[in-house]
Amino acid sequence: MHTSPTTGSPVEPLFRSRAPRRRILRGLVAAVVAAPLMFGAAACGDDGAATGDDKVKLSIFWWGGEARAKLTEDALALYTKKNPNVTFEKTWQANQGYFDKLATLTAGGNPPDIFQIDDNYLAEYAGRSTVLDLTSYKDSGKLDVSKFPKSLLEYGVVDGKLAGVAAGENTQGLVYNKSLLTKNGLPEPTTGMSWAEHIAWAEQVAKKTKVPGTQDPSADYKALWVWLRQQGKDLYKGNDLGFDEADVTRWFELWKGARDRGATPTPDVIHEGNSSDITKQLVVTGKSATSWVWVNQMPDLKKNTKDELGVVAYPGDPSGQWARASMYWSVFKGSKHRDAVVDVINFLANDPEAVALLGTDRGLPSNMDLRAKVSETATDPAMKQSIAVETELAAKFGPSPQVPIKGHSKVKSELVKAAENAQYGRVTPAEAAKQFLAACKSAIA
Amino acid sequence: MVAVTSTAPRQGARKPGGRQALRLVVLIVIVAVVLYPLLWMLGTSVKSQEEIVNNIGLLPERFTPGNYTQGWNNFDLSFGRFFLNSAMVSLLTVVGNAVSCLLAAYAFARLRFRLRGIWFAVMIGTLLLPGHVLIVPQYILFRSLGLVGGEWPYLPLLIPQYLATEAFFVFLMVQFMRGIPRELDEAAKIDGASPYGIFRHVILPLSRPALVTTAIFSFIWTWNDFFRQLVFLSSLEDYTVPVALTLFIDSTSQSAVGPMFAMSVLSLLPVFLFFLAFQRMLVEGINTSGLKG
Amino acid sequence: MALTTAPGRTGSTRSARPHAPRRGAGRNRHGEGLAGYVFLSPWLIGLMGVTAIPMLLSLYLSFTNYDILTPLSEVEWVGLANYERMFTADPSYWHAVQVTLTFALVAVPLKLAAALGVALLLNRAWRGVGLFRGLFYLPSLLGGSVALAIVWVNMFNRDGAFNSFLAIFGIEGLPWVNDPEWALETLMLLAIWQFGAPMVIFLAGLKQVPGELYEAASVDGANRFRQFWHVTLPMLSPVIFFNLVLETINGFQGFTAAFVLSNGTGGPVDSTLMYTLQLYIAGFTDLEMGYASAMAWVFLIAIALITTIFFSTGRFWVHYSDGER
Repeated sequence: MHTSPTTGSPVEPLFRSRAPRRRILRGLVAAVVAAPLMFGAAACGDDGAATGDDKVKLSIFWWGGEARAKLTEDALALYTKKNPNVTFEKTWQANQGYFDKLATLTAGGNPPDIFQIDDNYLAEYAGRSTVLDLTSYKDSGKLDVSKFPKSLLEYGVVDGKLAGVAAGENTQGLVYNKSLLTKNGLPEPTTGMSWAEHIAWAEQVAKKTKVPGTQDPSADYKALWVWLRQQGKDLYKGNDLGFDEADVTRWFELWKGARDRGATPTPDVIHEGNSSDITKQLVVTGKSATSWVWVNQMPDLKKNTKDELGVVAYPGDPSGQWARASMYWSVFKGSKHRDAVVDVINFLANDPEAVALLGTDRGLPSNMDLRAKVSETATDPAMKQSIAVETELAAKFGPSPQVPIKGHSKVKSELVKAAENAQYGRVTPAEAAKQFLAACKSAIA
Repeated sequence: MVAVTSTAPRQGARKPGGRQALRLVVLIVIVAVVLYPLLWMLGTSVKSQEEIVNNIGLLPERFTPGNYTQGWNNFDLSFGRFFLNSAMVSLLTVVGNAVSCLLAAYAFARLRFRLRGIWFAVMIGTLLLPGHVLIVPQYILFRSLGLVGGEWPYLPLLIPQYLATEAFFVFLMVQFMRGIPRELDEAAKIDGASPYGIFRHVILPLSRPALVTTAIFSFIWTWNDFFRQLVFLSSLEDYTVPVALTLFIDSTSQSAVGPMFAMSVLSLLPVFLFFLAFQRMLVEGINTSGLKG
Repeated sequence: MALTTAPGRTGSTRSARPHAPRRGAGRNRHGEGLAGYVFLSPWLIGLMGVTAIPMLLSLYLSFTNYDILTPLSEVEWVGLANYERMFTADPSYWHAVQVTLTFALVAVPLKLAAALGVALLLNRAWRGVGLFRGLFYLPSLLGGSVALAIVWVNMFNRDGAFNSFLAIFGIEGLPWVNDPEWALETLMLLAIWQFGAPMVIFLAGLKQVPGELYEAASVDGANRFRQFWHVTLPMLSPVIFFNLVLETINGFQGFTAAFVLSNGTGGPVDSTLMYTLQLYIAGFTDLEMGYASAMAWVFLIAIALITTIFFSTGRFWVHYSDGER
C-alpha cells in the first residue's frame, strides 16, 4: 500500500507489516474453517441407512425449466412412494447461476447429496474429490449400468473414476429450416455430407434465398471438436490439448472461405448466434438456414418458429460424433447417505416407470431397453425427429473422447474470442489460431 | 405540496404559462425517449413466444394477454408467493438499513470519539471491494455460524442489513447530516441536551430526506438483488421475484420468454408504487418544518 | 482516503457561529466519546462479524490457488503468483483495465449530468411532478433483470429500434451491441439511462437547500444563473460529492450491465469485458477464486487512491453546513 505518505488510506489498518498479517490471516482461516470441517467430519460417515427403518432426507439439485422440474419431482415422488423412508429436499433453478451456486455450496461444505452436472464441469468437480467414485457401486451391481451404451458410460469416467452417471444421451445436430428450402426448391442437407459440400450447399442457399445458408460455427467448441476427431485429432489428450496451431488455422481458414463466399452471415449476426441461448439460434430468428446445436434441442427450437425444421448430423464422417451425456447425476463424496443416493440414481436410470415419467427431457434415456420404449411413446413431432436422427447415428457413433479437462471453460471462451476476432476481420486466421493456442496453454496449465 | 417551492417564487411569476409549457414539453420528450425501451417491454409481454423471437416491433401482431395468467400460474406455487417473499425481505431490509445506518451516520457526522477518522476510512474501504470475491467467504462464514439452512432461510440475507453493513447508506446519511447546520446542535447543547437528546430531537427529525432516500434504495435494490438471494435460498417456496424470474428461462432448453416478460412488468409495479409513495416525502423538504438556521 | 478530510477531523471554524474550542469542551468530551461508540456499535459489530472476516479471508485467498471447490484448509499458499500473473502474463487483464477506464471516464460524468439536469427540472413542486420522477426512475427499477438484456439488445441490434429511428433520416445504422467497436458505447448508454439513483439523491439534496438563501440572493438582484452558481451548487456540494464518489466507484465496478448485455462473456471480442466481469469469470466460471481475489484487492487499492484524490480535492469545493471540512 503506497499511498502518499501524508494521506492514509481506508484500508491502511488492514495493511500492517507482512509477517503478522499472515499469522493473523492464518488464525482467521483456521477459525472460519473449523466449523465447516466439523460439519464435514460428521458428514463423512456412511450410515447406509437406505435399507433400514431410519428416515432419510436427501438433497438434490438440478438446473432446468419448469417442465423438467415437474417431471423430476414426479419421478422422485414415485421413489418416495416405493421407499417411504426416503424423502427429498429439492432445489432447482435455471442454468443461469447454477454452477455459481453449486460451487458456493461446495465451498461451504454442504453441496447437495445428488447434483446434476455436465461435461463442462465434471472433470473440475471430480478432480477435487468433491464427487464420489461410483465404480464400486457399478461393480457390486447396486448401480446397474449394464443396459447403457458402453461409450455413454465411459464418457462419465474421469481419471479412471466413474464420476457421473449419464442422465440422458445427446449428440451434435445440425438443425435447418426445412420450409425455407422447400419453398425455394433447394435440397436438404444430409448426414455424411463433407464440410466442403456443406459450405457449397450453404452458398447455394444464400444465393437463392438471400438468407445465409449456415451459421459460421468456428467459435463453437462442439463443432471444432467433431471436425478435429474427423481429422484424427481430439480436443484433449491426457492433460494436454489434442490439436495444434496448424489444425486451428485450417479450421479458421475453412470458415473464412465460407464467409468470403457469402455462405455465412455477417460477423455481428454470427456473434448473436454464438450465444448458447435457444431463442437466439439463427435458424429460429430467420437469420440463417442452419444452426449448430444439440439434437435434443429440436423441440425447444421448434417452439420459437413457425417454420418446419429438420435435423441431421454435423458434416463429415458421423463417427466423429459420440454418445455424449447431455448431463450427469453425481454424488457428493461427503454425503451421509451414499448408498441411498446411489439407489436413487439407479432408480432414475433403470426403473421403467421413472424413466417413462422423465421421458426425453434430459436427452434419450441411458438404459437402451427403456430408451426403445420411451421412443415409441414420444408424440411431439420435433422430438420424434431428433430421436430418429439419434437412433440412426447411434450405429455410426465413434468411441467417446475423454471428458474435457480442467480449464475447459476458459478454452471454450478463448475459442469464441479468437474466432470472433477473425470473423470481424481484426486478425488473420493464422493469427487468431496462434492467439487461441497461447491462451489455451495457460488455461490448462 | 404547495408551500414547498424552495427556489424563489418570483421566477415563475414573470410569464408562468410559457415557462411551464416549455418545461412540460421538454420533459415529455425526454420521458418518451427514456421510456421507449420500457414500452417495448410492455409490448413484448403480450406477444407470443414465436413473435418475441421474430417480431422486434413495438406492438404485437397477435395480442397475447395469456402470458400474464400463464406466468402467474407457471409454477407449483402462484407467482404471488414470490411477490410476498420479496416484499417481506425488502421491507425488513428497509427497516434494518434505516435504523442501523442512521445510528452509525450520526456517530460519524456529529460525534467526536477516538479513532473516528480511521473507522470512517474503513467504512469507505468496505465499499470498494468487488462483491463477487466476498460471496464465497461470506457463505462459508455464515454457514460456520449456523445461519445457513436454518428454519428461516432469510436470516443470512437480513442480519447484515441490521448491522449497518451497507456502507453506501452510512456514507449517504453522513453527507446529509453534515448539511444540517451545527448551530442547531449547539443550541440544544446549551439547553443541556446530551448526544442522545440531540439525536432524538434535532438530527432524527431533520434526517427525513436521507431516510427516505435510504428507504427507496434499500427497497428497490433488495427487490432486484439476484446473486445473494440465489445463493442463500434453496427451495421454491422461499424464492424471491428476481430468482423466480430466471426460472422462466433455462436458455439451453425450455424458455418461456413471454410469461417472463409479463412477470417482469408486474414486478416493476410494487417498486414503482413504493417509489411514488416515498418520493412525496422528498417533496416536502425540510425547510417546511420551520427550521431557521 | 485522506484521513485529514474525514468529517470533523480538523477543528476548522468556518461556520458563522464557531463551536467551542475543543479543549474547552472537556466536560462533554468523555460522554460524547462514549456516545460515539454506542451509536457506532451496530456498525462495529457488523464490521467485525460480517464484513471484515470475508474481506480478510479474500485477502488471504489472493495469495493462494483457491478454486472454491477445494476446502479452505487445503488451499496452497502461492505468494505473489496471482499478482505477478495479473501484471505480467494475462493480456486480457490489461484489456479489462482499459475497457473499465474508458467506461468510467465517459459514463460517470454523463450519468451525473443527466441526473442533476433532470433533478433540477423536477425539483419544484407542481402537479404531476411525482409521476415524472417515477417515470424517470423506472429504468433504474429494472436493475439487471433478464428482461432488460433482451430489451437492450433489441433496441441496439442491426434491425433494432435505434436503427429504425436513424433510418428516418436516411442513415444506415450499425449492429451496435454486436459490433466490437460500439458495444461498449451501448453499455455506457445503458448505465446513463439508469440515472435514477443519483437523481433521487440530488432531489433529496436540493430539498435541503434553505429557501431563505434564494430569497436573500434575489433581493441582492442575482439572476437565475447566479443563484444556481452561488447558492444551489455550494449548498448541494456535499451531495454532489457523494454522488461523484459513489458513481465513480459504481462506474468502475459496473458489473451488472456488462454481465447482462454480453450474457456474462464480455463479448463481442472482449469489448465489454469490464474489470469486475473478468473477475467474476475468473472466480466462478474458471474457478480461479484466488486469482479473482487478487484482482479484487488490486481494484480496491486503485479505487482507494482515486477516492483519496476526491476526498483531498473535496476540501476545496465541498461546502458543509456543519462548518467542518
